Amino acid sequence: MIETNTQKKQNFIEYLAARLSLKQFIFWIVLIFFLVSILFPFYWMVSSSFKTYAEIGGRAPVYVPSALRLDAYRELFDPSHPSFQNFGRNVRNSLLVSVPTAFIAVILSTLGAYAIARFHFKGKNALLNSVLLIYLFPGVLLIIPLFAMLSNFASLLGFEVQDNLVVLVITYLSQTLPVALYMLTNYFRTIPDEIEQAALIDGCSHMGVISKITIPLSVPALVSVFIYTFMIAWNEFLYAFIFLNSRNLFTMPIQINTIFNDPSPRPHVVMAASTIMTLPIIVLFLSLEKFLEKGLVAGGVKG
Amino acid sequence: MKITGRMRKPITLQQREERLAWRLIAPTAIIVLGLVLFPAIFNVWISFHKVDLGALRNVFDTRFNGLTNYINVIKDFSFKFESLKNMGAVVTSIVYSLASTVLTVVLGLAAALLLNRPFKGRGLMRAIFLFPYVAPIVSVAFVWRWILDPRQSGVMNDILTRLGVIDMPQAYLSTRGLALLLVIIFEAWRYFPFAMLMILARLQAIDDTLYEAAEVDGANNWQKFLNITIPELRYVLGATFLLRLLWTFNKFDDIFLLTGGGFGTKVLPILTYEFSFKTFNFGKGAAAAMLQLLLVLAFMLVYLKFVMKEDD
Repeated sequence: MIETNTQKKQNFIEYLAARLSLKQFIFWIVLIFFLVSILFPFYWMVSSSFKTYAEIGGRAPVYVPSALRLDAYRELFDPSHPSFQNFGRNVRNSLLVSVPTAFIAVILSTLGAYAIARFHFKGKNALLNSVLLIYLFPGVLLIIPLFAMLSNFASLLGFEVQDNLVVLVITYLSQTLPVALYMLTNYFRTIPDEIEQAALIDGCSHMGVISKITIPLSVPALVSVFIYTFMIAWNEFLYAFIFLNSRNLFTMPIQINTIFNDPSPRPHVVMAASTIMTLPIIVLFLSLEKFLEKGLVAGGVKG
Repeated sequence: MKITGRMRKPITLQQREERLAWRLIAPTAIIVLGLVLFPAIFNVWISFHKVDLGALRNVFDTRFNGLTNYINVIKDFSFKFESLKNMGAVVTSIVYSLASTVLTVVLGLAAALLLNRPFKGRGLMRAIFLFPYVAPIVSVAFVWRWILDPRQSGVMNDILTRLGVIDMPQAYLSTRGLALLLVIIFEAWRYFPFAMLMILARLQAIDDTLYEAAEVDGANNWQKFLNITIPELRYVLGATFLLRLLWTFNKFDDIFLLTGGGFGTKVLPILTYEFSFKTFNFGKGAAAAMLQLLLVLAFMLVYLKFVMKEDD
């Protein structure tokens, strides 16, 4: 019996050895190692979000939830739940910050990138270099002076620095515009300017050229800039953490951090909220992956 | 356009274009320079003044106190090196960013080599490999914390117990040494896709005839890798290393969310944050941030002068 088993095993290994060269074997081992270590945390996030409190707090981990239980999601969204988190409000705040950031960044960087790609002007390089300087400064370095500066303005002009989503949008713009500008400038340089020249000769203004020729030709680049700036604003933690105090205005990352640090730990709720925050990003990314990847290399998104 | 009767010398096309260019770029320039460059300079000013919470709304009335903030930072026990057990933020930062950057680039290189050969489903694999990099930091940091949960029910504890690696549940992120190691591994896990993309783009640009010529000369795979691939990748490896090192050194979120800066993982950005927003000593925080920036600049100058010089 044992003999036949080892015999079988031997046969199987021989079969494998015949089919796979050592090189291929190593290739598959390394690939599987990468895949497991990348995907397991995501699997654990999604599966934990469907567990019950009993499953999450048991003596041993539950690898596959017994059913798709929505307990955690109910706590996030169902007002009748005893510890209702009103997470819908945080989703809304995140959207209120990221969508305007992305829109404004695309518009402003289109204009700026057109100027850089098409015109020669004094101080262009100095300007570009100082815009790229942002890569050097740590976020924590900027936040103190930014806070002090905005507080001074705020008391002069009569607005609030803290708990003001507009302030957050403006700070996110300062973080995302350099990347957007850089990506779009590179893209515009690849568009031959003969068509634009022809339009200019026909009496079209530069603004007309931008809206009728450059923008239609750059849709993929504009979409990828939109998604990038959206992602940066959607994921941002530090500035929102410092600038927001009121639970009503928390963006998703801050609310998730708050739930995580709750005295009674409820990891399934944290994982449910994380799933909600991660899913749109992954879906957006997968559906537009082809040209997003190019942007990742070209822009070297800060992060 | 309004035609005014003002007497003005007609401007040339060149000048008109220059004006238009400035008008187009002005909004971007104002936002970026106003909210990045100006605060960065303003930070220098703050670092020489006594700024606390009450003074924040009218910083310009605060007292100049010379190098006091800097001296306070340098003398702070959590800043300077005390012993191997208590490395201080400077040494911790250097160890953390060097180790995780090296690991990031190595993993990125491995992943790039893996995905450079054609196989079925390569496109999908490439997309999946980018997940850690595009997913929100808050989500992935908390998943890792949940995986590394110190209780017996933590999944890492469960797996390692079953494999016989450990016999007691471990508090991974609250054990000195282990916490720093895990934070380093986390960084490599999250950022290797960036290195992978940079390297992959360069790999695909290598001229195939180089490999063909080497094959004719009878080179094996390892020799081809050492003598063709690595030299061709040298520049992109150097640039990726520098960028990642810079960003890792300045990174706040990852460690803050994973360990809160405790258990031997207090890096400079966390220390700056604590000076400013825990003790509300903004002057001291600004000075710590300046020292951090100086370290980065010094490193960059040395690196660009000695390491990257030959590649030009």
